[in-house]
Amino acid sequence: MKNDDLVICRCEEVTQADIKEVISQGVTRMNEVKRLTRAGMGLCQGKTCGRLVTGILARETNQPLQELKPPTSRPPTRVLPLGILSRTTQDDD
Amino acid sequence: MEKTEIFVVGGGAAGMAAAIEAARAGAKVTVIDENERPGGQLFKQIHKFFGSGVHRAGTRGMQIGRDLLKEAREAGVKTRLNTVVYGIYPGKRLGLVCGDHTEELASPIIILATGASENALAFPGWTLPGVMGAGATQTLININRVLPGRRALMVGAGNVGLIVTYQLLQAGGDVAAIVEALPYIGGYGVHASKVRRAGVSILTSHMVLRAEGNESVERAVIAQVDEKWQPVAGTEEVLEVDTICLAVGLSPLAELAWIAGCQFSYLPALGGWVPVHDENMESSLQGIYVAGDLAGIEEASTAMEEGRLAGLSAAEALGYLSHEVAETRKIEVQERLAALRIGSFGDGRAMAKKEFLRARCEK
Amino acid sequence: MRIEDHPILGKAERGKRITLNVDGEAVAAFEGENIAAALIASGRRVFRYTAKRMEPRGVFCASGRCTDCVMIVDGQPDVRTCVTPARDSMVIQTQVSRREGEATHDLEKEKD
Repeated sequence: MKNDDLVICRCEEVTQADIKEVISQGVTRMNEVKRLTRAGMGLCQGKTCGRLVTGILARETNQPLQELKPPTSRPPTRVLPLGILSRTTQDDD
Repeated sequence: MEKTEIFVVGGGAAGMAAAIEAARAGAKVTVIDENERPGGQLFKQIHKFFGSGVHRAGTRGMQIGRDLLKEAREAGVKTRLNTVVYGIYPGKRLGLVCGDHTEELASPIIILATGASENALAFPGWTLPGVMGAGATQTLININRVLPGRRALMVGAGNVGLIVTYQLLQAGGDVAAIVEALPYIGGYGVHASKVRRAGVSILTSHMVLRAEGNESVERAVIAQVDEKWQPVAGTEEVLEVDTICLAVGLSPLAELAWIAGCQFSYLPALGGWVPVHDENMESSLQGIYVAGDLAGIEEASTAMEEGRLAGLSAAEALGYLSHEVAETRKIEVQERLAALRIGSFGDGRAMAKKEFLRARCEK
Repeated sequence: MRIEDHPILGKAERGKRITLNVDGEAVAAFEGENIAAALIASGRRVFRYTAKRMEPRGVFCASGRCTDCVMIVDGQPDVRTCVTPARDSMVIQTQVSRREGEATHDLEKEKD
């Protein structure tokens, strides 16, 4: 798909161009794409865009899909009321 | 209160079947589900299932759902609804959120049956209200009893696309067409004939180019594609639709298995990254089992059989079933699974499942 | 558009009639159905506007995963309307999401 203004991550509104931009700077792993573009860091935690981002990274870097593990999953896996987890999770991001 | 020996995460087809088997054997089982009612996707499957008699062919998914819930009650399975498992930690501890508080619970065995999520397809306009998953559409029409719009375009002619198209018509909606990028229809011929008889054309080698509209979808532009999936100039066509349903496959919903540290394998025939498991449905982590779409995208009937395997194995691990009894029961289930995994779809899945076992043996 | 009669499912069984307050307007709903269903039945398609591009969004996954249908419900932002049951007199507002670190505003405040 040629359309670079295309939104890929619906939550953080990261476009195809944003993702290609970090790839052109040498990024090859999903974790890096996530950290640098915020794709997959929104409310849904990449549930919608994960596969799309992987597809772009695979295409742009000529890597097979099986080489591209999804970004590290961390709790919580769902959007939760603010503050509810303050006792139980560590903020390591 | 009796201490739970097996937590099952996800109360869909696989999770409920697992819980029933384990509880019948005597284990204390609790199913955790984030929804208000268990049953997963079964209640929106208002069509009759395929397969042979033992697989309850000819029974509608929603009826199978009702039966599973009844069997679970009778077997003494406990359920915790409206409860989200937000994390899983060493020592098989689960982090739960229920209402306004969190809890941490542990059990010797955890069965993950978290299901699948729908794949997305990005095209200009795909973020407009009115573009949604085909499964989302199915939930709206069959569970919530509301139509998402007046006229829809279905993207994808696999079983989900075909079935949801027909169900939109049953619900009183209108479907302009089904577009399928592949040069052939992926779903079963029976479903395809049904939608065609109802007057909906299935356009193979066609894709949606863009969705247009001001605040929501007002029309879709489709075009024919060549063998390299590029639109063919001059074939563009505008369809007046307010809804675009995406039926482009499912992926295992595997976050909890990743967080737990399960080993994964990439298997396209099973929907992508799938937690490696053995013939007992045990993951690479002792005491953590996987079943259903999480363990590879298949169908509700295979999900239930895998759930039964996980439930039997868990009950055996806890000492509720002797090795002999458990083996006999598991072989019966394996035979039913083998019978379900035949045909053009099934062969690929059966092969992919065998990959796991080979990987486990080599370890 | 509600589906009242269905060839397989029969007549719809619904809860008690209730009324929601949606952006200041009364919207009829049934107790127990989720908020998103009631809004779609009333013809609404836009549930929120995004932070960067101010683009409209609506129901996408209908299963609580994608978070595109989040709204402000009784003052609380980011409520997934597709999995939240409607209750009588609920106050529901179109959500305008903001970048991280900023508070979430409702549309009316945004326009002022």
